[in-house]
Amino acid sequence: MKKGYSIALAILLVLAIALPTFANGQGEQKTAGKKQLTFLFMPGVADPFYTTMEKGIQAKGKELGVNIVVAEYPKAWGPEDQVPILQAAIQKGGIDGLLIAPTSVDALKAPLKAIYDKGIEIITVDTFLGDGDYSKAGTDYGFPLAYIGSDNELGGKQMAEHIAKLVGEKGKVFCEATNPDASSVAARVSGFKAGVAEFPNMKLAGVEWCMDVQQTAMQQTLAALQKDKDIVGIFGTNVYSAQGANQAVVNAGLAGAVKIASWDATTTNIDNLKKGTVDLVLAQKPAEMGSLAVDWLYKYLTKKVQVPKKVIPGFEFFTKDNVNDANMQQYIYQ
Amino acid sequence: MNTRVSNNNGSLLASIGRRWVLGFIIIEIVFFSVAARGFMSIDTVQLILFYGTEVFLLGTGELFVIISGGGGIDLSVGFVMGFATVVSAKLMVLFATMGASPLGSVLLGCAATLLIGLIPGLVNGWLVANLRVPPFIATFSMLGITHGISELLLQGSPAKNLPNLAGEIGNGYFAYLTPSGSLSFFSRPEVARGQHVWAIIPNIVVLAFIFIAIFAFVLHRTKFGRHVYAIGGNRDAAIRSGIDVRKSLLKVYVISSLFATIAGLSYTLKYITGKADAGSGMLLDGIAAVVIGGASMSGGSGTVWRSLLGALVIAILETGLRILGLQTFTTYIVVGVILIMAVIIDQLFPNFNR
Repeated sequence: MKKGYSIALAILLVLAIALPTFANGQGEQKTAGKKQLTFLFMPGVADPFYTTMEKGIQAKGKELGVNIVVAEYPKAWGPEDQVPILQAAIQKGGIDGLLIAPTSVDALKAPLKAIYDKGIEIITVDTFLGDGDYSKAGTDYGFPLAYIGSDNELGGKQMAEHIAKLVGEKGKVFCEATNPDASSVAARVSGFKAGVAEFPNMKLAGVEWCMDVQQTAMQQTLAALQKDKDIVGIFGTNVYSAQGANQAVVNAGLAGAVKIASWDATTTNIDNLKKGTVDLVLAQKPAEMGSLAVDWLYKYLTKKVQVPKKVIPGFEFFTKDNVNDANMQQYIYQ
Repeated sequence: MNTRVSNNNGSLLASIGRRWVLGFIIIEIVFFSVAARGFMSIDTVQLILFYGTEVFLLGTGELFVIISGGGGIDLSVGFVMGFATVVSAKLMVLFATMGASPLGSVLLGCAATLLIGLIPGLVNGWLVANLRVPPFIATFSMLGITHGISELLLQGSPAKNLPNLAGEIGNGYFAYLTPSGSLSFFSRPEVARGQHVWAIIPNIVVLAFIFIAIFAFVLHRTKFGRHVYAIGGNRDAAIRSGIDVRKSLLKVYVISSLFATIAGLSYTLKYITGKADAGSGMLLDGIAAVVIGGASMSGGSGTVWRSLLGALVIAILETGLRILGLQTFTTYIVVGVILIMAVIIDQLFPNFNR
C-alpha cells in the first residue's frame, strides 16, 4: 500500500514540475506576440456600487482596447473573502495591471505587495491601504500607483450643507451610521459633524451605529426621536441605516416632518426618494472611479505618464426635484 | 466497530477502494490543469497548502475525536477557531499597547491563546467523559458558548490594529530562492521588481505541519494513541483491559480544541484580524476531511495521513474552483457530494479503512 502512495506521489511531483515549465513557455510566447494589455478588476463585495464601477471599467477598457478581467465578487466584506479570490485570479497569469478595492487597510498590504513584486501595477479604487496617502516616504504601503475614490469627509460635510438647506438651516439633526471601524463611514460621520457645526442654529442630536442591521437602525432612531422630539433631519450613512431611520420616522408619525438623507445612489435609495421616504441622496461616482483608474493605468503602462497619487471624483446630490432629470440618470448605480 | 481488521490485499476492488482518495486527487489535478489556466504551477501548490492549512489542522483534531468512537464528534471546532482568532488578536493588541515589542506581542499573544484555547476542549471532554453528555450535545453547546463569548469580546466590530509583524509572519514564506541561486530564510530578498523569486512553503504551513507531525506520532506511536483506537473500537473491552477511558477521552477533546485554536492562530496571522465567525464554514471541511480520509464515524479507525489526503481533496478543490473562476459556493456542493461518496464507500467496503 505504501508503495502505491509513493508511486502516485512521485507522479504528482513530476507533473507539478514539468507542466508549469511547459505552461510558462506558452504564456511568454503569447505576451511577446501581441501587446494587448490585460487589467484585473477585484471588487470589494457584491453590491451595486461595484457593479456600477465595473461598467465604467469595462467601457473605458473597450475604448482603449484593454482586455478587462473581472474577479468573482466576494460575497462578504473582508480580506478572508477577497484575498483567496484575488490570488487565484492572479495565478491565472497574464495580468498587467490590477484595479482593486482593498477590504482592509492592513491585511491587504502583504498580498498586494507580493503581486506588485511580480511586476503588476496596482491602483486602489474606492478604498485604500494604510491611510491612503501613497506619496508618503517610509511607509510599507507606498507601492500602488494611485488611490482613486471619494473624499468621504468632504461628502459628509456637503451632506450636512444639503440637509441644512432642506430644513431651513435650523433645528436638531441625527446621524444613523453603520460601523465605526469602516474608515469611509467614520470619515462621513466626522465630515457631517463638521458640516453641522458651521450652522449656528443647528445642533447634532447624536450619532448611533447600527452595524448594517436595519432593525437596529430603526430602534436607535426611535429612541433618538423619543429623546429629542424636535429632530428635523436624519443622515443615514448607507441604505440600511437610512431605511431603518425612515421606518422609525413613519412609526413615530413624523413622516414628512423629518427629512431623511442617505448615502449612495442605489436603485433602492432612488426608489425611496421617488416614493418620498427619503429626501436626499448622495451619489458617489463609482463608474467614473473605474473609468479613471483604467485610463491612468493605461497611460502609465503605455506612455509612462506620471500618475497623481490621489484622484478624487466629486459627488452628485439627488432630491425629488432632480431625480427624474435626464442628465442625473447616469449617477444611479445600476 | 471494525477495529484492526487485516486488509484483504487480494481483490482488485479492494485495492481500488483503498486508494480512491488518491485517485480522486489525481483526477482533480488533471481536471484543473486542463480546465483552469495557471493551475499547474508551484505557486498553486503553495496556494493550496496556504488556504488548506485550517482544514488540515481541523481535520487532524477532529480525527482524534472521531476515532475515539461512541458517537464522538466535535461540532465546536469552527467557533473555537473563531474564538481563538478573537482572543489572539485582542491579546496581541493588548501586549503591544502595554509596550511589548512586535515580536513579543505576537509570540505572547499566540502562546496565551494556545493555553486559553484548551479550555473549551477541557469542558467538552469533561462533559463527555465524566458526565456522559452525548458529544453532539456537549460540543454543540460549546459552539454557542464560544460564539457568544467571541461576539461579546468584539462588541460588534472585528479586532484590528494588530502589529504589522503578525501579517508578515502569516503571509511570509519559510524560504526564498532567487534566480541567481541564493537562498534566504523568512525574509524575501531584495531583487529587481518583476524578477521571479521562488517562495518555498508558507510559514504557517510549516508551523501547522510541525503540530500535525507531533500528533501523528502521538496517535500512531504512543500508548495513548493505541488507547484511543481501542476505546473507539470497543469501549467495553477497553475498560475491561484497564484503560483509563475518562482520561483518554478528556485528552482527545483537548487535542481537538488545541487544533481548532492553532487553526485560529493561522487565520489571525494571515488576515491580521479576529472574527467570531472566522471558522463558521470550516466545520464541514474538518469533518469531511476525516470521513473522506476513510475514518469510520463509528470510531476505531482512521489515520492522520489519510485525513490529510481527505483535507487535500478539499483544498485542491477550493483553489482549483477559484482559479477556474467558479463561484466559491460550488465548493460546498462538491464537498457535500464527495462526503456522501466517502460514506458509501465506507459502508460498502468496511475493511479498507484502517
